Amino acid sequence: MSKSSYLGADTIALHSGYQPESDHGSRAVPIYQTTSYVFDSVDEASALFNVEQGGHIYSRITNPTVAVLEQRLAALEGGAGAVCTASGMSALFVSFFSLCSAGDHIVSAAQIYGSTVTLLKHSLKRFNIDCTFVDINDQQALAAAIQDNTKLVFCESIGNPGLAVSNLPAIAETAHAQGIPLVVDATFATPYLNNPIEHGADVVVHSVTKWIGGHGVAIGGVVIDGGNFDWLKSGRFPTLTQPYEPFHGMNFWEEFGPAALAMRIRCESMRDIGAAMTPHNAFLLLQGLETLNLRMQQHVSNAQAMVTWLQTQDAVAWVNHPDINADAHTKALFPKGAGSMLTFGVKGGRDAGAAFINALQLSSNLANVGDSRTLVLHPGSTTHSRLSENDLIAAGIGADLIRVSVGIETLKDIQADFSLGLRAAAKIVAQQAEA
Amino acid sequence: MYIQVDNANTFIATGGKPFAAHLPTVVLLHGSGTDHRCWALQARWFAFHGYSVFAPDFPAHSLSEGEALTSIELMAAWLVRALDTAKVDKVHLVGHSQGFLVALEAAGLLGDRLKSITALATASAIPVNPALVETAQSNPKIAAEMMLQWGFGSPHQYGASSVPGMQPIGIGTRIMANNPLAIDLIACNAYEKGAEKALQLANVGCPSCVIIAAQDRMTPKKEGLKLALDLNTAAQIIADSGHMLPMEAPKESLNLMKKFIQSLET
Repeated sequence: MSKSSYLGADTIALHSGYQPESDHGSRAVPIYQTTSYVFDSVDEASALFNVEQGGHIYSRITNPTVAVLEQRLAALEGGAGAVCTASGMSALFVSFFSLCSAGDHIVSAAQIYGSTVTLLKHSLKRFNIDCTFVDINDQQALAAAIQDNTKLVFCESIGNPGLAVSNLPAIAETAHAQGIPLVVDATFATPYLNNPIEHGADVVVHSVTKWIGGHGVAIGGVVIDGGNFDWLKSGRFPTLTQPYEPFHGMNFWEEFGPAALAMRIRCESMRDIGAAMTPHNAFLLLQGLETLNLRMQQHVSNAQAMVTWLQTQDAVAWVNHPDINADAHTKALFPKGAGSMLTFGVKGGRDAGAAFINALQLSSNLANVGDSRTLVLHPGSTTHSRLSENDLIAAGIGADLIRVSVGIETLKDIQADFSLGLRAAAKIVAQQAEA
Repeated sequence: MYIQVDNANTFIATGGKPFAAHLPTVVLLHGSGTDHRCWALQARWFAFHGYSVFAPDFPAHSLSEGEALTSIELMAAWLVRALDTAKVDKVHLVGHSQGFLVALEAAGLLGDRLKSITALATASAIPVNPALVETAQSNPKIAAEMMLQWGFGSPHQYGASSVPGMQPIGIGTRIMANNPLAIDLIACNAYEKGAEKALQLANVGCPSCVIIAAQDRMTPKKEGLKLALDLNTAAQIIADSGHMLPMEAPKESLNLMKKFIQSLET
C-alpha cells in the first residue's frame, strides 16, 4: 500500500515531521521539555479537548518533540499515523488493549520475545483475554487457531531469539480471510530492512530503544497504524466502530477512518494508562533515527561476516541467522539482509557458553539488542528465564544458545573478542573431557 | 448517521453529535475521491457549537453505498434529495474543490433554502489532466499518490500534520485509492457552468466566502481570486497550505468558515 511520503527513506529519516521552527530557526528538532501548553482562550482549550482542532494539551497525550518522531516513523513505515510510548512493551500493551476486551482472544507466534509471551500468556489472561500460540508459518495451524472471538494475529517479523522469519504475506492472507488484522513487532528488522505494511501487516510495533535509537541511552516504543484494515467490515471491533462513551460518543472509524486505531490509542490509552514517551527520550531517539539507514548497512554487513567466520570456528557447535539457507519468503522480505542478530551454540553446552560470555572484553553481556556496540546474552538464564521448559522449546531456545546483537565496530575487533571467548569455551570442553 | 437516498444506504457525518434538523445546518461537501473525513475537525466544532452538520459521503464513496454519480449536475440533484430525506430546510453550503462545484450547481436547485456558500481551495472550473484521469482509471492507487503529491503543500510533503502523530498524506491516499476517483475527475473536468452559476449567486446577493490556499497547484490562487470576483466577495488566503486545505489547515480554515457563517446567524 501507498507510502505516507514521497521522499526517499534517507530523507524521511532526517527531515520528516519537522521543518525549522519560525521563532528561532532551530535546525535540529527542539526538545519541548514541558508538561503542558498555554491555551489562547477558553474556547481554544475546549476545542482542543473535544478534538475540534489539533494541537497539544498535556505531554502525557502529545508533545511536539514526540510528535516529530511519531510522524517520522509513520512516514518511514508507510503508515497513516503513529503513537510513541514509554517502551516497546507499552506499545504492545496499548495495541492489544485497544483492540481487545475481556472475553477476546489473540493468536500469536510461539517464537517471540519472552516478556511478550508473559504479557500474552499471563498478564492479559488476568483480564480474560486468552492467547493461543502457534507455529506462525504453518498457515493451517494459524487458520485453525482463529476463533469467533479472535481479535488479532501477532508475530515478530524476525523472532526473538529464535530468528525465525515470519512469512508476512501468507500470515496476513490467512488472518484477513477471517477478518482479523495482523499486528507485527518489527523491532529486529527496523524500517530500513523491511516495511511490514507493504507486506500485509495492519499494525506495526517497534521497540525504538533498539536499532532505531542505536545508542542505548533511551527507552521507547511506537505503534504505527497501517490504515488499510477495514475495522467496520470485519465486524469484530466495537472499540473502533461503536460510540466511545468517555469521549462524547466518538466513533473512531467514522470520524478518522484510516487513523482510527491511532486515535483510539491516543484518546484512551495515553489518557488512561499514560505510558508516554518523554520529550527528551524522543529527542535522543530522533538523533539515532537520523542515521539508522547508514548504521544498519554496517550492522548487517558485520553480522553476515560474523556468521561466516563463526561457521569456521572449531569451538562452535552451530550458528543461526535467517540468511543461512534462507527460504523464499525470507529472501523476498529481506533483500538487504535479515538483520544483525545471530545465535550460536558453543561445544560444551551451557557451561562452555557461560565461559565464552565471561571471557569477552569488547562485547557487552547485557539485556538489550540493537545497540551500536556488540551485545551478547544467554537468554535461557535471563530474558527468557521465566518461561517453562516447553515454552523454551517452542521459542526455539536451547540451553546452549547465545544471542548476539552484532554491532558496528571494526569487524576484526569483534572477531578478536569472540576468539577470546571461544578459547575459554574450548578450555571447558577440555576439562569436561578430562573429567 | 445513515439515511436512505435513492434506495442506497448513505452515510452522513454529523460531527459527533446527533443530527437535529431544526438547528442552523452546515453542509460540508468533500472533493474528488475523498470523503467526509476531510472535515473531521471542522465538523466537530460546528456540531458542538449550535449547528447541525451534514457531511455526506457521496454515493460509492467510503461509507456510502450506491452507484457513483457521473456529473456535477447529478451530484447536486442527489444532494438536494439527501437534504430532503433528512428534512433539512435552509443550509450553509461549504465545498472543497469538486464539492464546491456541487454546491454551485445545488444552489440553483435550493433557491431560498440556501443561506450562504463557502468555497475552499477551488475554482469555478477544474480542468483535469487527461493523464491523471487515465491513471485513475487504470490504477487508482497510483493516481491517488500522484494527486496528493500534487495536492498537498510543501510542509505536508515533509510530514507536517495539524493533528500530532498523524500522516495526512497516508490517510488521504488510503481513502482516495478506494473511492471512484476517476469518475469524480471526469465529472469535474466536464463541468463548465461554474462561472455562470457564481455570477448568478452574486446577482441575487447570496452571501459567499472564498478561502484560497497560497500553495494550491490544482486550483491555483489566481483561479480562486477570479472566483471571488465572480461571487463579488473578498478572497481569504491561507499561507503554507496546498490544495488539500481542509486537512492541511483545519484550524485556519475553520476560523474563516465559522467567522463567516456566524456573522450570518447572529
